[in-house]
Amino acid sequence: MDILMNGVGLVLNFETILVILAASLFGIFVGAVPGLTATMAVALLVPLTFYMDTIPAIAAIVTTSAMAIFAGDIPGTYLNIPGTPASAAYVGESYALAKKGRAREALGINLVCSVFGGIFGTIVLIVVAQSLAEVALQFSAFEYFWLAVLGLSCSIFISVGSRTKAFLSLLFGILLSTVGLDMMSGAPRFTFGVPDLMAGINFIPVMIGMFALNELMSYYGSKSEKKQITIVDNDSVFHHVPGYIKRYWRNMVRGSSIGTLIGALPGAGADIAAWISYGVGKGRSKESAKYGTGNIEGIVDASSANNSGISGAWVPALVFGIPGDSITAIVIGVLYMKGMNPGPTIFMDGSGLIYALFMVFILANLMMLPIGYMAIRLSKFFILTPSRVLMPIILCFCIVGAFAINNSVVDIWLMLIVGFVAYVLAVNDFPMAPAILGLVLGSVVENNFMSAMLRTGGDLTSFFARPISAGLGIAVILLWCSPLLIKAYRYQQHKSGRAY
Amino acid sequence: MRDFFAGMGFVIAGIVTIITAQQFPTLPSLQYGPSLFPSLIGGGFCLGGAVLAFNALWLRKKAVVQEVHDNPALADPPSKKTNWAMLLPPISIVFYILASEYLGAMLTIMVILFLLMLLRKTSPYIALATSVAVSSAIYFIFSRYLLVPLPQGVLLGGSLPWIS
Repeated sequence: MDILMNGVGLVLNFETILVILAASLFGIFVGAVPGLTATMAVALLVPLTFYMDTIPAIAAIVTTSAMAIFAGDIPGTYLNIPGTPASAAYVGESYALAKKGRAREALGINLVCSVFGGIFGTIVLIVVAQSLAEVALQFSAFEYFWLAVLGLSCSIFISVGSRTKAFLSLLFGILLSTVGLDMMSGAPRFTFGVPDLMAGINFIPVMIGMFALNELMSYYGSKSEKKQITIVDNDSVFHHVPGYIKRYWRNMVRGSSIGTLIGALPGAGADIAAWISYGVGKGRSKESAKYGTGNIEGIVDASSANNSGISGAWVPALVFGIPGDSITAIVIGVLYMKGMNPGPTIFMDGSGLIYALFMVFILANLMMLPIGYMAIRLSKFFILTPSRVLMPIILCFCIVGAFAINNSVVDIWLMLIVGFVAYVLAVNDFPMAPAILGLVLGSVVENNFMSAMLRTGGDLTSFFARPISAGLGIAVILLWCSPLLIKAYRYQQHKSGRAY
Repeated sequence: MRDFFAGMGFVIAGIVTIITAQQFPTLPSLQYGPSLFPSLIGGGFCLGGAVLAFNALWLRKKAVVQEVHDNPALADPPSKKTNWAMLLPPISIVFYILASEYLGAMLTIMVILFLLMLLRKTSPYIALATSVAVSSAIYFIFSRYLLVPLPQGVLLGGSLPWIS
């Protein structure tokens, strides 16, 4: 009970509440402005969280990401341009409704589903994480090695587009993680005589380069967009919501469950959760022909899923220290910076930190209702914010933010180089999520491998000597073989089909 | 063909990574030295890059064959034009690194903001007012509250009023 009260005390104080409020407004703004993504919002926020205590810092990130994912639906509804990739799945539905004069109605149900999805994911997190953490306490270097490899493998197999590109993007991230002094021998690796690189690559400039500078270069590389809103929106935000909830509550539960599950898989974020939930919803709907013409059902399915995906991604992040998506990857970096090791011990440390975290999740999602309502009423203001004024300001924040971590110009160079490489990769359709997971998990894989080998005198079979370790190892091997197994199965089916 | 060049780029990066990794000093008592993971990554770059490059070549060959079978659109897909304006953010960052020691962070940020806004056809008055307000705000927040020692610059005599 004392621990619970400690946790409540960590959240219900002036600083944390103020941070949550400010982060809500920031998240809504970034999500609602076309061209700025939720991950970019978090990357820009990280330099500021460096100066906060742990709970306000995490509260800022959790709130910003949840708000930005919802707010991404606003430009999607009014302009048919999704504010964040997580809104892309159902942008056609909400835009079609907006053209019929039902923009606020679409955003109203969207908001309620987002809140429901977020809270659903949090409840799953609360229920599952504690018991999983008890299992995770039995883990040693062998299990953590396989778990990290499983996470990295998932990021390749689940990513959208070419797997070869996802694989190369992942290796780029792992390569960055090897920079600095080697854990075992103390030998400098890829430091090129720069003393600032001896301690390894600083996580924050890489984040800013990968997600903010990359987006800025895309913006300047594209033609100047003229945003003109032709939508008339005099309808009510919440008037039809009770009716839709009564009709589509099953879709809300199903979308949230899919979202939480997909979000918990490493490498699969809110965007993939939304696409899968939308696809499943369409497949099971009695009115599937109406999908794409402005169907509320599609919005319910996908908008529940993308916000629950955000919460789901925290399950592996908190329990094992394995990030579920790019945003939790950033948070894990922040936790390491603050001297904390995400993992099962976070549940047992007795400081109430974990209860504070759960409370932050619930508060952030509840806060979405009033702030989201205000954002819907002020939609046109957000959308018409001129990017030509906003983008240079973001660039300056990137420069100062990268510098502020170590007060070092080397970090600005690092941001520049990584941002440039990320831009080149992104324009050639390389996904960025595997790279960031590689950066975070690369050292986890290497350090656990090395300490396991030191313990067993270099015996590789020891990775299959313990039951959980062997189980995880077999799961990884099966995942790697899955494309071949699927091909073989299809070939067999095809052959037997022809035989009859 | 962009994938072909990207793939070849990764193959070259892989070879360079492997060669560099071989030069890392190691301890004889360790079964697996500091070069193990970088070498594996380099090998992965070579393998993945080669697959990407060969796949691109194979697809191109397939498209040329289809062209013969009356589908000319596939043979030579329209390449995206490079808009060099995408270099504006990196150039601004290099300008900041080079100029901030002399001009100071605030003035350098102001110049970057003003020029970038003008280049995107913002009204000069709005650009000027925003640049002055935002650069002062950034400088004030980071220097005064977060105590980040942003360069003050030789030009302004090395001190600004709110820095003690």
